[in-house]
Amino acid sequence: MNCTEFQELLPEEFEGGRTAEQELHLRSCPVCSGLVTDLELIASEARQLQEVADPSPRVWAAIEITLRQEGIIRDAQLGPSLVPGRPRRWSMAWLAPVAALVLVAFGIVIYQRGPADSRLSVKQDTQAPPALTKLQTEKKTSTANEDEQLLAAVASRSPAMQAQYASNLQNVNAYIKDAEESAQADPNDEEAQQIVMDAYEQRATVYEMALDRSLP
Amino acid sequence: MTDARKLQGDKLSEAEAIERAKQGDAEAFQLLYGLHKRRVYSLCLRMTANTAEAEDLTQEAFLQLFRKIATFRGESAFSTWLHRMAVNVVLMQLRKKSLPVVPLEETLENEEEAPKKELGAQDPVLSGSIDRLRLQRAVDALPPGYRRIFVLHDVEGYEHNEIAAMVGCSIGNSKSQLHKARMKLRESLKTSRAEKAAKP
Repeated sequence: MNCTEFQELLPEEFEGGRTAEQELHLRSCPVCSGLVTDLELIASEARQLQEVADPSPRVWAAIEITLRQEGIIRDAQLGPSLVPGRPRRWSMAWLAPVAALVLVAFGIVIYQRGPADSRLSVKQDTQAPPALTKLQTEKKTSTANEDEQLLAAVASRSPAMQAQYASNLQNVNAYIKDAEESAQADPNDEEAQQIVMDAYEQRATVYEMALDRSLP
Repeated sequence: MTDARKLQGDKLSEAEAIERAKQGDAEAFQLLYGLHKRRVYSLCLRMTANTAEAEDLTQEAFLQLFRKIATFRGESAFSTWLHRMAVNVVLMQLRKKSLPVVPLEETLENEEEAPKKELGAQDPVLSGSIDRLRLQRAVDALPPGYRRIFVLHDVEGYEHNEIAAMVGCSIGNSKSQLHKARMKLRESLKTSRAEKAAKP
């Protein structure tokens, strides 16, 4: 058996089951022996490539949103935490990656009412401060009313969760306020505008989850 | 699988998380995702060599799994079920993109990609060690057809009969593709090693 013949049979015989003739050639031929050694090394080292990295947080965020939209995720079970080291309380760090895409329109509507007022306020800052103050006040009042209604809905169905959602709304409203202030400081800053959008999406997320979890 | 499967204290096992997920528990889904995301994503990444695509496929694999979780009866390991689903998702996606899954007769996009045969001259061995990073890069640079078979067999551990069924080729073709993938990697690794040695 020569090297050509041996190497032609290699794909079929590589994982064992060589004939005596093949084994004899392998023992006597440094070229084929070196080749087989290299290929075996590659095959064994390949296993180390099995787990290389984690996906970005957006993957889970998208999965959860879709599962909620499809009704596959329903009520949270009371009981021991399933996620190692994760407290039951919500935190902004958990809210951040979970953007409620399905309620983006809701956030956009609120944002249009908000930033529109802000843009108006920027343009009119030398003209009518009383009108600006009035618009901002109306927006704040509207937001507060919506929050009150949401918390009332939560309280009527899941009283134990009201305090948690009140805290979450307080946090996300503070986030929106900070984001809007940054955007107002520089209306041309697209990143700041995006942060405002993200902040409203988080608010929409809180609403969605509050309504979802508080429903029987 | 991972050690996190059996958690301490009052936390739950994977089996219990599966049962809770069937009831729609969000944290159960998140736990299952956390346990298996790395393996699934790494598979997708190795098969596509593209992070954005790998993330999309990871998302799709888990969504398909979670949609069907109510049907999981535990006859096989959950990880096996998930892994097989991930492989199917990747292969389907690659077919949609009209990449050659495994050409039944053809094995190459062009002749330049064919691994070279060097007979008669002594080939220096890879010195018994391979830099993992170089191997990763070499795998990513493989032609898609070779990479697919190599990842499924040598990285993920599927047998040729399983690969043939998944990919839609013969067992012989699967073995041939694998061999050529390994030969191509051997070339790449030796070239890479020679280049490194040549640098001052």
